[in-house]
Amino acid sequence: MSWTELETDVLVIGGGVAGCMAAVPALESGLQVTILEKGKVLDHCGSVGCGVDHYLTIMDSGPEWDTPEFLIKHVPELTDGIVDLEVTSKLIHQMPRVLKKIESFGVNFKDPRFNDYYRLKSFGLPGTYHINFDGTEFKKHIGQQVRKLKGKVLTRTMGVHLLEKDNKVYGAVAFNFRTGEWYAIKAKSVVMAAGEVNRLSKNASGMPFDSWHCPFNTGDAHRMAFDAGAILTNMEFVETTLTPKGFSAQGLNALVSEGAHFVNKQGERFMFKYDEKGENARRAVIADAVINEYLLGNGPIYADCRHLPSDVLDHMEATLQIDRYTMPAFYEQKALKFRDEPVEVSISELSIRRSGVYFRGSGLAVDTEGHSSKENLFAAGDCASVSGGIAGAAVLGHISGEGVSAHVKKMNGSKLPEFDADEISRIKNENEHHLVASGLNWRAFEDKTREIVSDYIGVRRSSKSLELAMQTLASLANEESEMKADDLHGLMRVNETKSIRLSAEVMANAAMARTESRTGSSHFRSDFPETNETDWKKFVLVSKNEEQMNINYSDASESLASVFDRGK
Amino acid sequence: MSEEKKVHNPIKIDPEVCVKCNLCDWICPGDLIYKKEDDRTTLPDVKYPDECWYCGLCQSICPVDAIEIIFPEEMINCKTDVRSLLGKDVE
Repeated sequence: MSWTELETDVLVIGGGVAGCMAAVPALESGLQVTILEKGKVLDHCGSVGCGVDHYLTIMDSGPEWDTPEFLIKHVPELTDGIVDLEVTSKLIHQMPRVLKKIESFGVNFKDPRFNDYYRLKSFGLPGTYHINFDGTEFKKHIGQQVRKLKGKVLTRTMGVHLLEKDNKVYGAVAFNFRTGEWYAIKAKSVVMAAGEVNRLSKNASGMPFDSWHCPFNTGDAHRMAFDAGAILTNMEFVETTLTPKGFSAQGLNALVSEGAHFVNKQGERFMFKYDEKGENARRAVIADAVINEYLLGNGPIYADCRHLPSDVLDHMEATLQIDRYTMPAFYEQKALKFRDEPVEVSISELSIRRSGVYFRGSGLAVDTEGHSSKENLFAAGDCASVSGGIAGAAVLGHISGEGVSAHVKKMNGSKLPEFDADEISRIKNENEHHLVASGLNWRAFEDKTREIVSDYIGVRRSSKSLELAMQTLASLANEESEMKADDLHGLMRVNETKSIRLSAEVMANAAMARTESRTGSSHFRSDFPETNETDWKKFVLVSKNEEQMNINYSDASESLASVFDRGK
Repeated sequence: MSEEKKVHNPIKIDPEVCVKCNLCDWICPGDLIYKKEDDRTTLPDVKYPDECWYCGLCQSICPVDAIEIIFPEEMINCKTDVRSLLGKDVE
């Protein structure tokens, strides 16, 4: 046997905020937890890599807007009606509790200038829900909690396949891309927390790893779950943001919440043409407005901070590096002073994440316990159907951690299946074949996917373009087994590339199914340009059935769990 | 990688300053930097420079400020027409 066999109560795939926050309650309840993490450390956020400077939360501080009920009331309009309100309500109700818990790990959310929480309003939210803080050490404290509670972490290890028997997940196959060691891991339940899908389309610099969110989050959870038969939802919606042109980096929230203006080449402040909230509109609306301005020939578009008072500019400058450590160096090497001159912006590459709105996540459909449509498979963070940035990852992660703990305890010592050695061998051999294959290098393969997504599934879609995309992506899949990896690191990338291609194909199929437009450029069909409230208050559900992509629908007024048929 | 010579190296490590401690290798989220463990004689090797995210975590953790992040021309002086990112018309 050429792999190592392990057993654990809970296997968590992805050691970001969601994965660690899921691990904590499971460890606290006395379960054994093993985390698979592609990085070497648990100190940094999965999606943004560095620290965090904004955290969305309810604090019950007194005013009505700061109560769960008030925010929940506004969720339908924030998500254009496509949201699992039951799961979102639970998430919002749990926000204050999880915030306190994270503070107990040692995270200081207070602004030293006031020794109090500094809260800002942005992205169309109906209250000042974002705590603006120096979260450079945010994730470090959460990671340390996992270590303190003796969670087992397999670093530089990538999960590639879920093990299942009788429609129940019982573990995963993984490999370490530094040592080449393969693992078969048996678990009573698995929590997917591997983040969103990036490296999916072209961006301004033309460099695939120059991406807004972590380019090493590539839909691995989506692929493994899809292959195991789980339902994916909201996959038709894409997300893009505004970035300084040439550098796809975080920072839009800081800009808009502090009061930056967007202007077009005529110097016109155009956001109010698109939304009464102006620059405070939802991210999807801001991105859509900028896309429209470019299509109207009004580009370049600039972010302008020159009107802001000097103390605000000082604060912006001082916190520029929290989300992206290298942002000051970028401005410096570009010889650009954002205090004194407008900054040219571009739209970023696309992600399948949460389509520029809070609480509508794209990925595994989950119930109020974080349990997916597949027995023993849970999810949290940006690969789950309810998502909300860092706070969403933290809170749904914690919910899933409590959910999986209760579920595992209910399994009450029931025996897990024996490993299927043939299945594990097959996965390992298929992977190792890439090291001797003679086909396309993974980079060239991935470029093809990006080109198809940018040109035919991106921010302007039609049945013709989607048809073309579906055909091309499906035929690209036929070349997949011959994709070439130069080394173990390359084998990891090959797996990422496969996840990106599959996610793009799921996106094309879901986008074809939704014959309307919704949430601006998140899903704009040029052949169905209107939002159809009569027929399309629905989720599009994609799952695998006999090697085919199976499309189903469910009424968005009901929770996604109403269509789950677990374990049957 | 056949085009290795043309690839821009974003992670400039000063060999005179580097204390060969492994932290940059450990922190890189993309598995780009390789450094022989427990060996204070070898420098870190930026093995996959074209896969850099420009996150700067290596620079932020370096105990002796031996690392500088250098942005390439296509980022600093980006000439792409943003409209080319907005899809093709296939009507």
